[in-house]
Amino acid sequence: MAALRGRWPTVVGVLAGVGLLTALPALVPSFYVTLSTRIIVIAMFALAFNVVFGMGGMHSLGHAAFFGLGGYTVGLGVTRWDWSFTVIVLVALALGAFVGLAYGILTQRTNGIYLLLLTLALGQAIWGLAFQQVEITRGDNGISGVTRELVPLVGTGALSYYHFVLLVALASTGSLWWFSLSPVGRAIVGTRESPTRMAALGFRVGLYRNIAFVVSGLFSALAGVLYTWHHRFVSPDALLWEMSAFILIVAIVGGANTFLGPALGAAVIISLEFWVSLHTQRWMTVLGLVYVLTILFLPEGIVGLGGRLRRRHASVDVPVIPEPTASRSGRSHE
Amino acid sequence: MASLLSHVLNGLSFGSLLFLVASGLTLTFGLMRALNLAHGAFFLLGGYVALDLLGRTDSYWLAMLGAVVVVGLLGVAFERFLVHRVLHRELAQVVLTIGAAFVIADQILAYWGGRPVMPPRPPGLGGSVTIGDLTFPWFRLSLIVIALVVFVSLWLLINRTRVGAMIRASVDDEEMARSVGIRVPVLFMAVFGAGSALAAFAGVWGGAFTGLEPGGEFSILLLALVVTVVGGLGSVTGAFVAGLGVGLVDEFGKSLFPSFALFTIYAPVALLLAIRPRGLLGRVER
Repeated sequence: MAALRGRWPTVVGVLAGVGLLTALPALVPSFYVTLSTRIIVIAMFALAFNVVFGMGGMHSLGHAAFFGLGGYTVGLGVTRWDWSFTVIVLVALALGAFVGLAYGILTQRTNGIYLLLLTLALGQAIWGLAFQQVEITRGDNGISGVTRELVPLVGTGALSYYHFVLLVALASTGSLWWFSLSPVGRAIVGTRESPTRMAALGFRVGLYRNIAFVVSGLFSALAGVLYTWHHRFVSPDALLWEMSAFILIVAIVGGANTFLGPALGAAVIISLEFWVSLHTQRWMTVLGLVYVLTILFLPEGIVGLGGRLRRRHASVDVPVIPEPTASRSGRSHE
Repeated sequence: MASLLSHVLNGLSFGSLLFLVASGLTLTFGLMRALNLAHGAFFLLGGYVALDLLGRTDSYWLAMLGAVVVVGLLGVAFERFLVHRVLHRELAQVVLTIGAAFVIADQILAYWGGRPVMPPRPPGLGGSVTIGDLTFPWFRLSLIVIALVVFVSLWLLINRTRVGAMIRASVDDEEMARSVGIRVPVLFMAVFGAGSALAAFAGVWGGAFTGLEPGGEFSILLLALVVTVVGGLGSVTGAFVAGLGVGLVDEFGKSLFPSFALFTIYAPVALLLAIRPRGLLGRVER
């Protein structure tokens, strides 16, 4: 228990958060339970994305591929191939990990803007397949009627699915937390901070970049699985680059330097989307402004804002974590 | 034979349009290392402003001039007030310009509606030319000619004029250029404005080819990005060669394997970026 010394506030906070999330359906109208389900799924996607983005410092604009592949595995597995629940989940995880490995290998030699463009092209290639292989994917129309019959739920309806999503998301968050503290996770952070030093210390930088992409792809695909079952529908939009850009801004808004920041970003942006859509049809304008204003005024995200205020008031020097939004162009590495 | 030739001409004219859009992108990237993902929105805005002005003035050339000037000035302001604040921060530029593109496209949707529109062809280029058994619209041929003219002018501007020398000096060593009295920030603004104006021109002229609708800004942007990347970020010559090449690949991809057309555009680009990030004619990163 020595490891927990001085961490009791965190432990209590986490337990309270989990308790609150579990009890939520009893506290709010069922509509908000659906909204919360969506938030949790996107939050899980954002946490998975942040393994590459925040931890690894690699600017990916192609993460929709993992998410959408997970989503399409469910859509096709349920409606077309009559797969069992276990097979669907295993195939989705395998696809996420495999495509993650492909991303990792292909991006070995790129950084900065080139990495961004390369992941964008990879994501769009996969989107193009889903969009144009109409005979399999039904193209732009998407796949509807994805029932939840296979999902091992206790009870029926939105409430039970909420608890299922929460359980999977908490287990994933726990695993990702453990991963971020593991020696491998630490090494990934090291490759972000200084690839040359890590290489000099004998770490195989490329290997750790691959691992980051594999882990990130795996959990992103799992989030995609939950997403499709949540909407009972999947379309090429889940694979489109706009989804990649969305998860990027979610992570930045929350704070990509911290573990739970991206989840906070998901809660904020999805709530904002819901609230804005009540009043106006111009959600895309608001979302665009969120992109612009975040970059100008909140580059370290909401969590970073707290840190910034504390730094302003504190007399002692707080170590400044390099912000992930500042570019690490290819120059410094080569 | 005639159908093959018409496919080639179609591909070349679409490629010319792509070059017009990509030239602005590659210019700003070459000079400022700034990737402007709102470029497609400027393309779209140019077309819509021209259509609006055309309805008011009834003069095609006046409408085109107005659209090019308005969007060019918008580009200058965009650079000065937004892009300039995130210079040399690539991720920030990307996110900021994506946001700006969302705002512009959504406002276009709010003001002009979501129906696809088609700017008219330039007056005097309505008919088509017949060579043997091949009939081809003058308008599409004119695009190829315009792309050639723009390419040659840009090449001459960059390689043979004083302004071009200043641009090249700023690209090579910004600090040194500033210390010998070149006002690099002003140059940045001017180049960005010129790039935006080029996008607007492509939107007016090329919009008559592709049609315009909110949401279409990203399909043209992504193709222009492909052209820019294949040609090598920052290389105008590369963008010209790649533009025509991508135009041809797109045309033949669509007719040969229609259900893989998008894949055949993006997958090779991804491979090229993985193996040779600087593209065909891009400069080596220093």
